[in-house]
Amino acid sequence: MQNKKLKWKSDFEKSVIIENFVNRGWIKSQEKEEEQTDWNVYWATQIINHFPNHYELTRKDCMVKNLKRFKREQDKEVLETFNFDFLPTTYIFPGEYSLFVEEFHRNPNQTWIVKPAARSQGKGIFLLRKIQQLKKISGTTVTSNMTQLNLASKENYVVSRYIDNPLLIGGKKFDLRMYVLVTNYKPLKVWIYNKGFGRFCNEQYTTDVAEIENMFVHLTNVAIQQYSDKYSQKHGGKYSIDALKLYVESAYGTDALNKMMDDIHNIMLTSLKSVQAVIQNDKHCFEMYGYDILLDSNLKPWLIEINASPSLTTTTPVDKNLKMNLINDVYNIVLPNDDFPDNDQKQQQPTKVGGFTLLYDENLDPNNRKTQKRQSVKIWK
Amino acid sequence: MQQLDNQEILMKLKSSKQFWDIKKKIKQGFSDQQKIGVNDIQKFAQSCEIEDQLIKLISHILKKSKKRETLKEDQIEFLNTSKIKWTELLFKNLDIVHQKTKNQEEDDTNTDSKLYIYDEKNLLAFLQTFKQQQSNNLYQNVQFQSNKILNINIPLKSSQSILDKYQYLLLQEELSDEKINKIRKQIENEHLDIELEKIAQTFVPNGERCLLYLKYFEFDHQDTVLQQHFVKLQKECLNQLFYDELLEIDGHEISEDTFYFVFQEQILTCLKCFIRDRTIKENIRIQLQSGIKKEHAEFQLPITGFFPFKNISKYVAPLCYLSTKIHIIYALFKEFFCRYFCFLHAISSESNSILSLCMQIEEIVSTRSPKLFHHLKVIGCDTLKLIIHQLVYCFIGDMDPPHILTIYDQIIGHDSLEILVILCVGFLNKYKSKLLLAKNQENVQQIFSELREDRFQELVQYAYKQ
Repeated sequence: MQNKKLKWKSDFEKSVIIENFVNRGWIKSQEKEEEQTDWNVYWATQIINHFPNHYELTRKDCMVKNLKRFKREQDKEVLETFNFDFLPTTYIFPGEYSLFVEEFHRNPNQTWIVKPAARSQGKGIFLLRKIQQLKKISGTTVTSNMTQLNLASKENYVVSRYIDNPLLIGGKKFDLRMYVLVTNYKPLKVWIYNKGFGRFCNEQYTTDVAEIENMFVHLTNVAIQQYSDKYSQKHGGKYSIDALKLYVESAYGTDALNKMMDDIHNIMLTSLKSVQAVIQNDKHCFEMYGYDILLDSNLKPWLIEINASPSLTTTTPVDKNLKMNLINDVYNIVLPNDDFPDNDQKQQQPTKVGGFTLLYDENLDPNNRKTQKRQSVKIWK
Repeated sequence: MQQLDNQEILMKLKSSKQFWDIKKKIKQGFSDQQKIGVNDIQKFAQSCEIEDQLIKLISHILKKSKKRETLKEDQIEFLNTSKIKWTELLFKNLDIVHQKTKNQEEDDTNTDSKLYIYDEKNLLAFLQTFKQQQSNNLYQNVQFQSNKILNINIPLKSSQSILDKYQYLLLQEELSDEKINKIRKQIENEHLDIELEKIAQTFVPNGERCLLYLKYFEFDHQDTVLQQHFVKLQKECLNQLFYDELLEIDGHEISEDTFYFVFQEQILTCLKCFIRDRTIKENIRIQLQSGIKKEHAEFQLPITGFFPFKNISKYVAPLCYLSTKIHIIYALFKEFFCRYFCFLHAISSESNSILSLCMQIEEIVSTRSPKLFHHLKVIGCDTLKLIIHQLVYCFIGDMDPPHILTIYDQIIGHDSLEILVILCVGFLNKYKSKLLLAKNQENVQQIFSELREDRFQELVQYAYKQ
């Protein structure tokens, strides 16, 4: 029952955020902007809808480091077992450059994908087949014997094995954007949203070397595809998760679909568990992540990256409908009945709220108590 | 006509679950006896109706084994003449379309998008031109009302019989996992089409739908044959036809659909192969066009025997969900079109024809929702004009793919398009309250231009509400 007139403040003028405030009858904080302190809900860049150090999960290099560390810890554990086979072989530059060179020489026909660690929307990404191509990173030099890399900028890069056999539909590559809400890290409580979409490239996929620089073939980011001649305003290259599930089930079978979804859930849970010990938990924080997942031709999902601020720009009416409902459902979980739930109320929440289904609640995990004793808490610097 | 020998009949019987049930019953009936004669079995079979079941099963096998001949002539003569007139009209439209494409080539600013030979509105308008049939001794019992737009005296099934036939859909509940698994096993083991129809009438799991369709059309062991046939057609596509251009234009609408845009290229490839497929003419259940154009004509009918029409792409689209193999998608589309969808474009008195389906819809709406029927007439929006698009294109583009595939299941389940009558009636009933408030055509268009979500089960429920 929505009967409280909460006051809101927002750093974003996004219609899906503002319209949700208005639809719930909440009032905009009327004080002068610099003096606004009477808000109850603040859609901000860093405070309420984020955990303080979310970058541990959402920076590409930190995500890789934490997953590798978590895997090393888990290898020593007996009780909990996680499947880590969803992260393509990845090296962080400049630190792991020499390791990369060794691997590069072992597999000279392998294509790699190079990404700035902290950028988004496909910026600065390129495919690599020759080490000399690293000069594409502005000002970067590579010694002639390839033993040394001098990155001109101070930012890190991640270099991953390129998944060159993606699942194609209609001959085109796509990746998945799925939404996950974390309302607490200690204990971990994770919700998964039932709606999401595949983001399709506009050009037919090919491994032809001549097309390696054609981003309309290889990069699924909407920010890139929208500049293709074949981009459609009507669907924006977005294909609903429901439609994809129907396709996979009909064309590959129910068991194949179930395994694919189980594997995707494993990716979400394992990645969140990997940072559980390092994230600064705060009961006032929640975070809605945008998971980018690529399916290969065997229906195996691979984790591409996790976004802390998934785009709320809407490109089509269907997209707007999805994101409006998504934000609405986030509020229904985080602020049920327009109030901050106490611990008891949180524990009594149903397992399904709107489009969100509870994926994991550590309080209900029977292995929880035993593993908590074994887990060592390390703050990653 | 193909006839099966006894061995072939026995093979088909053995592929049926019903046959093994019957055999089990007979065995159980004689479990204590050691000596059993043929007469004993016959007496037993007659006493518990097994003989009737077997006779029905065998006659069904024999009936299905007969190669169907394409219906060329209708029992009602004026429909035969009308078909010729329709074909002549389409040839004229073809000439107009060809001229338009020439003009567009010469003038880039001329972007007339009406580059199709006919659409569903043209078809309905043509049906409306039929003059009231003179009284005919054969059809004196047929009632028709003059306020309907299709005043044609053709034999029609009673609308109540159609409503009764599909009433079981109202009782369908969500099935448990156990029941779904049972159905899966049934589909894997069953080969007889009568049994597959029964499954299709109730529930088809997404994961087994393709297999059910392939089995029903007897394609399940013909992958290589289907592939070879398709590859041959693809090679023929290298020679461009004028109709290819029309198909490419037709594909634009599907390329904007959020559920089907990913299959755009596959759909176009299937259609280009379709209009070159010589086997369609002998497989299609009803001839769509009749008469040959005059000599020295630039274009003739495609080799299929009919013109491609607007939105033909829609029929292929939902089938793209069923397989990763384009030759399978093509085979299923071809079969669905030749068995069922062809009737939606045929000038015919057959029960599946567009004419009969339209008249059934008018009959049901005028008797069960007379207020709506009358109101639509008064504001200049006939019932049929409102639903003709949904009817002709099986709600593709109006419902999400899972619901469309359920429609396809029902079509196979009853070997009939009558489910579309139920859904069209349901569609009108769903929007009845808004339509009754509409004052003119613009109001009506506004109702249907809003974002809406129509579902199969929902429309069935509405069909039976009064």
